[in-house]
Amino acid sequence: MAPMLVVTLADLTYRFRQFLIAVLGAGVVFALALLMAGLVNGFTTETAQTVGGVGADRWVLTVGSNGRIAAVGVFPEADVARIARMPGVRRSDPLVILPTQVLRTTGGDITVNVVGVRVGGLGDPQATAGGDLTGNDQVVVDVRSGVAVGSHVLLGSTRFRVVGQVENRTLLAGTPMVYVPIGDAQRLALGGRPLVTAAVTTGVPTSVPPGLRVLTNQAVEQSTLAALGPAVSSINNTKLLMWAISGIIVAALVYVSALQRVRDFAVLKALGSSSMALFFSLALQAILVALAAALFAMIASQFMDGLFQQPVSIPTGAFVALPVVAVAVGLLASLVALRQATGADPAAAFGG
Amino acid sequence: MVSLVAEDLTVEFSSGGYLIRPLHEFSFRAGDGELVVLLGPSGCGKTTLLSCLAGLLTPTAGSIDFDGTTVTGLVGGALAEYRRHTAGVVFQAFNLIPSLTARANVMVPLRLAGVPRAEAGNRADVLLEQVGLAERGHHRPDQMSGGQQQRVAIARALVQDPPLVLADEPTAHLDYIQVEGVLRLLRGIAAPGRMVVVATHDERITELADTIVELAPHRADPGEEPHEVALAAGEVLFRQGAASDLVYVVESGEVEIFREKDDGTEERVSVVTPGAYFGELGPLLHLPRSASARARTDATVVGYNSHLFRRLHPGAPGRAP
Repeated sequence: MAPMLVVTLADLTYRFRQFLIAVLGAGVVFALALLMAGLVNGFTTETAQTVGGVGADRWVLTVGSNGRIAAVGVFPEADVARIARMPGVRRSDPLVILPTQVLRTTGGDITVNVVGVRVGGLGDPQATAGGDLTGNDQVVVDVRSGVAVGSHVLLGSTRFRVVGQVENRTLLAGTPMVYVPIGDAQRLALGGRPLVTAAVTTGVPTSVPPGLRVLTNQAVEQSTLAALGPAVSSINNTKLLMWAISGIIVAALVYVSALQRVRDFAVLKALGSSSMALFFSLALQAILVALAAALFAMIASQFMDGLFQQPVSIPTGAFVALPVVAVAVGLLASLVALRQATGADPAAAFGG
Repeated sequence: MVSLVAEDLTVEFSSGGYLIRPLHEFSFRAGDGELVVLLGPSGCGKTTLLSCLAGLLTPTAGSIDFDGTTVTGLVGGALAEYRRHTAGVVFQAFNLIPSLTARANVMVPLRLAGVPRAEAGNRADVLLEQVGLAERGHHRPDQMSGGQQQRVAIARALVQDPPLVLADEPTAHLDYIQVEGVLRLLRGIAAPGRMVVVATHDERITELADTIVELAPHRADPGEEPHEVALAAGEVLFRQGAASDLVYVVESGEVEIFREKDDGTEERVSVVTPGAYFGELGPLLHLPRSASARARTDATVVGYNSHLFRRLHPGAPGRAP
């Protein structure tokens, strides 16, 4: 096989531009596949960060919300105080979570998830820029909303002053969270009635009032992510298509290369090469091209995540898996040229 | 003392449903140290014959014996060994690997045979020096002239020091200055212990040859008198793929012209009756017979050389192959 390695590498150098185009083409597709993996992982990460950022041990939601914090199921705020008195509970605070609200800014309307929190309680975010909530008509926004500290925004017909920004607080595919005092949230959507959509606790309640259920952070995350199930499925399918397209690109290159080398194969066979050695040469070319494309993709993906509004968090596993996938893609792609390699007639070397 | 004997070589293959015989019962022999020229026009079977001699094509019938080895009887590892060590080939249009340097091209057969890189490199250097290209070893084929590429191809053919060197149209793509260099080289390597077989349509090369083997169909002597052939019903006069020499006119009886198909069946072309002629295009164009002729009944035909036939039939060629 060693002589064929020399022939293979020489051919890669000789047809450098041809291979470079394939590396770039397959590389961009590989990068998109990585970003797809990053998108799916981003959904998980943002949910974990937003749910975990509340700082609760347990969530108490209505049974009807099915564990989704973004599903509006309300119960009396008085139940929060009752839960706080339950054995095992050290603290309990109310939340009003209002998904997909319109935040009107000077730059245009933004879809946000509004979270009403008790100022200083669980779920009240610590601003990374500006200050924390201190009273009514104030809002802390996630930086992805693009709203500056000190500016004013409208939620419904209420004017709020942006007092601070937080990071990594998004839900449902990058929709920014905005935090307001709970009374403002109740006036916005609940007619000012003392209702909440969740109680969050430190400590673990052993029982809750009828119609409510206790969930862990993980259970809340999983239930909330379930709302994105169809989107995740579509993205995963698109990712598979990306693998397939990259395979087709490499296969097309290898096939064209094999067609260009039919005479070379015949000559090499006439000079004593085996069919297996020729196939090895083609397969090695395909694998090297696929691996080069994978390397390009790993670098390019770092610069391409800005193409997406949603948070992109490419998992380490995807970077580890990519070279393995590239080798598989290369091997599969080389099969399309198997016939050219093994079927080469050494007598054809005599042709002019 | 190497010797080459080819006897009754026939090569058949299928093309468009018909049976093609580029070689039909062809024989020749050559001796040690000879430069043998296989001469003939395009399509006469020169390359097919070289492929058989190189062990790259197995003839349908006949035998090739080189230096006491029956090449046509070799299979598997023995055949691969023959290809690697006994027959060195200079292909038409050079057929060097375009991505490799001249040195690497010469090394390829040795490396494929498992010779270590350093040893193969040294051998390549020696041969490139021998063909006058010591300074061009690191150039790729597209950086060399046709004559230089051909010399690299010759060096590659010699790298295993084979006793049989086969060259297919070695002057086809060269100008006259390059032709001279390549022919001098080929003439020089034909020496005791090694035979060189050159296939060409270039008759100028025959001046350098020790043995000339003509593959073109035999041309009947223009002075040759017509001769009568009596055929019994069912008797074959000539077969598809055979060399064409005479044009036949039917005196009595009927002759059937048919083509042999690759599935073993026959396809009738025509039946020739008294006064009509057949088989005129082969001798006129120096092509093999494109169909077979067989007596349908007891018949008598008269064979004419093409010159005499055209004089007697100024309107010909006409209707049959």
